[in-house]
Amino acid sequence: MQVIVNRNALADVLVVASGIASARTTKDVLKCVRLTATEGELLIGSTDLEVALRCSVRQVEVRKPGDILVPADKLTQIARESVDETLTIGVEDQVCHVRGVDSHFEVYGQDPNEFPPVPDLEGEPDAEVAVEVLCRLIDQTSFAVAKENTRYAINGVLWEKKNKRLCFVATDGRRLARAVGAAEQAGSGDASMIVPAKTIHVLQRVLANGEGQAAIRFSDNQVIVKCNGYVVSSALVEGQFPNYDEVIPKDNDKSIELSTEAFISAVRRAALLTNEQSKGVRLSFTQDKLVLSSRAPEQGEATISMRAGYGGENVDIGFNPNFILDALRVVGTPTVNFEMKETNRPGVLKAGSEFMYVVMPVSLA
Amino acid sequence: MNQLHHILHVDMDAFFASVEQLDQPELRGKPVLVGTRPEERGVVAAASYEARKFGCRSAMPMGAAMRLCPEAVVVPPRGKRYAEVSAQVFQILVQFTPLVEPLSIDEAFLDVTGSVRLFGQPEEIAREVKRRIQAETELTASVGVAPNKFLAKLASDLDKPDGLMVVPQDGIQAFLDPLPISRLWGVGKATLPRFEELGIRTFADTRRLSEAVLRDRFGEAGGQFYRLIRGIDDREVVPDTEAKSISQEVTFPVDVDDHEHLRGVLLGQTDQVARRLRRHGLLARTVTLKIRSGDFKTITRSRTIEVGTDETQTIWVAVTALFNEWSSQQPPAVRLIGVGVSQLSNGAGQQLSLFGQEESFRHRQLDQAIDKIRDKFGDGAIGRGGVRGKDAGDV
Repeated sequence: MQVIVNRNALADVLVVASGIASARTTKDVLKCVRLTATEGELLIGSTDLEVALRCSVRQVEVRKPGDILVPADKLTQIARESVDETLTIGVEDQVCHVRGVDSHFEVYGQDPNEFPPVPDLEGEPDAEVAVEVLCRLIDQTSFAVAKENTRYAINGVLWEKKNKRLCFVATDGRRLARAVGAAEQAGSGDASMIVPAKTIHVLQRVLANGEGQAAIRFSDNQVIVKCNGYVVSSALVEGQFPNYDEVIPKDNDKSIELSTEAFISAVRRAALLTNEQSKGVRLSFTQDKLVLSSRAPEQGEATISMRAGYGGENVDIGFNPNFILDALRVVGTPTVNFEMKETNRPGVLKAGSEFMYVVMPVSLA
Repeated sequence: MNQLHHILHVDMDAFFASVEQLDQPELRGKPVLVGTRPEERGVVAAASYEARKFGCRSAMPMGAAMRLCPEAVVVPPRGKRYAEVSAQVFQILVQFTPLVEPLSIDEAFLDVTGSVRLFGQPEEIAREVKRRIQAETELTASVGVAPNKFLAKLASDLDKPDGLMVVPQDGIQAFLDPLPISRLWGVGKATLPRFEELGIRTFADTRRLSEAVLRDRFGEAGGQFYRLIRGIDDREVVPDTEAKSISQEVTFPVDVDDHEHLRGVLLGQTDQVARRLRRHGLLARTVTLKIRSGDFKTITRSRTIEVGTDETQTIWVAVTALFNEWSSQQPPAVRLIGVGVSQLSNGAGQQLSLFGQEESFRHRQLDQAIDKIRDKFGDGAIGRGGVRGKDAGDV
């Protein structure tokens, strides 16, 4: 194998690929990325057996096709540290030679036949969605994914497809985020799968600064997403995602519209006087205003008043301020609606019809 | 205070230094100074008894202490470790009375007035406290037993280390009279010379002064001196507003290796602990299983629950999981077994959960029903079936 490749293009792909490969593993081949040179393209693959990534680097001149496994971290470091515009990568006897103008690296490789398959998305995708929409669906839900919860199925984001409608849901048992968007193209019918948190993080990197369309394959045992020249495939989280519809309150009878920016500022300020023992910020809804207050024992208290159109009866609800802020940061709309019923009952944050967030309160004394 | 009270003052001996000597056997028998090095202008946080013989004291500049005892080993303090041992000690103390007032990490007052019927005479309780601390932490404590806080603290200070001094109600004056006036609470560098001006050296000397004279000399404090000198102190033992833990344990007369029997005991203890939580309106987040084997090795295993609970069922699930983990490793026969809960709160600021509200509601109703029956007919009136216990283990 011999290729001349644009160093920046190579480094960009390797950074994402090595994020998958370099995990703590005892299998040496899984610490590697696979380089496959064919007519006109250099294909880079990496996998940890759960998430796999393949990407073709197009700014390349293939002199001689070939195939090699190279330790991901070393190759990534070489690509990043080198100063050349292009690098020449050659393979002889499972040794990878990387040459720049004044440099020559020999990195010992592995047998490419040992590498697990790195799937491509073949045939028609089940849905095609604008990258921008997919990014929004992911950003508006991934923050609420449970971290190592014993209720295994919530350690991922639920992706549901109903004809052209895509609905992503994530929960950690205390709050639940749901984002809805429309696919450009989609096969008819329903499908759903739970995508692991790690896969979501890989997708966020791959989709960043992307444009155009992303193709998605829904299947029973894996998800495949193709966009920006990358193909990400991943095993799914097994198990039954909780029936989220049941926890979305249907009887919230009080609503208030708030400026997103002003609400963020108020919550952040009220959160200043909370601490480990008293994490909650109290939201008091009264005629034409919302008062946020907090108290940190032995430190002090904070009160922030927001003018807002509210005409319902007075309600006090306590919330973990971080839970509110997490959602406000991703709504992407200038205003949000906050709906509630009473103390110690869930609050609901809505941004248009596309984003909904159920958040359980902290109990007030 | 109308009723005669029994107060214990429990004081760990050279606590930080003793913990270091415990963890680093090569330090035992040597003068040890815990604190930062003199180059860092450190002060002595604790001095081992070996170092105290040279005159080293806590709060002394490290440099000065090292001049007094150049061969002393200086050890940097490990606050986290001391807190861990302290928690162990307090866990023992709260088993004798809920009225435990922590004074510091290594010192506490206990009001055992109400514990006499359960645990015997105050002196016996003190002996048992010392024994348990020694057995479970390998550290010694000095305990003073007296009708009030002032006397109890004096008593523990006078018999150190590993001391036990009792001041009986009818022996207060005899106990106090010979003591130097510097032992009087509130007498320090500034006040001591003023007593000396009056020709006063001991408590007995001071007793000749009228309250008016003392007040004249020392203002408000004079009135307090007047009472303390006579052994009068009616400050109450105020437990931490929030108890640190609740636990229940039992020591078997013979070692037990029947795990089903142990499960049954644990279920009963879980039930008791949960009931105490409910009675005090507390929620617990950490559940601890404690097991001592026949060879006196004690293990504790803890599990933290996402949201605080006072439900028997929820605590039982955690206890069962901990027990199963332990029993899967071919453990030795058991001498002592117990269940404890900690990280207690009153529920304010508790993060509520989206799921499981229904299930939780049912457990709560069951708990409340059982509590009611017991309040009315006594604890033996109703129990949880072993079958329920077994089933619970599979959850």
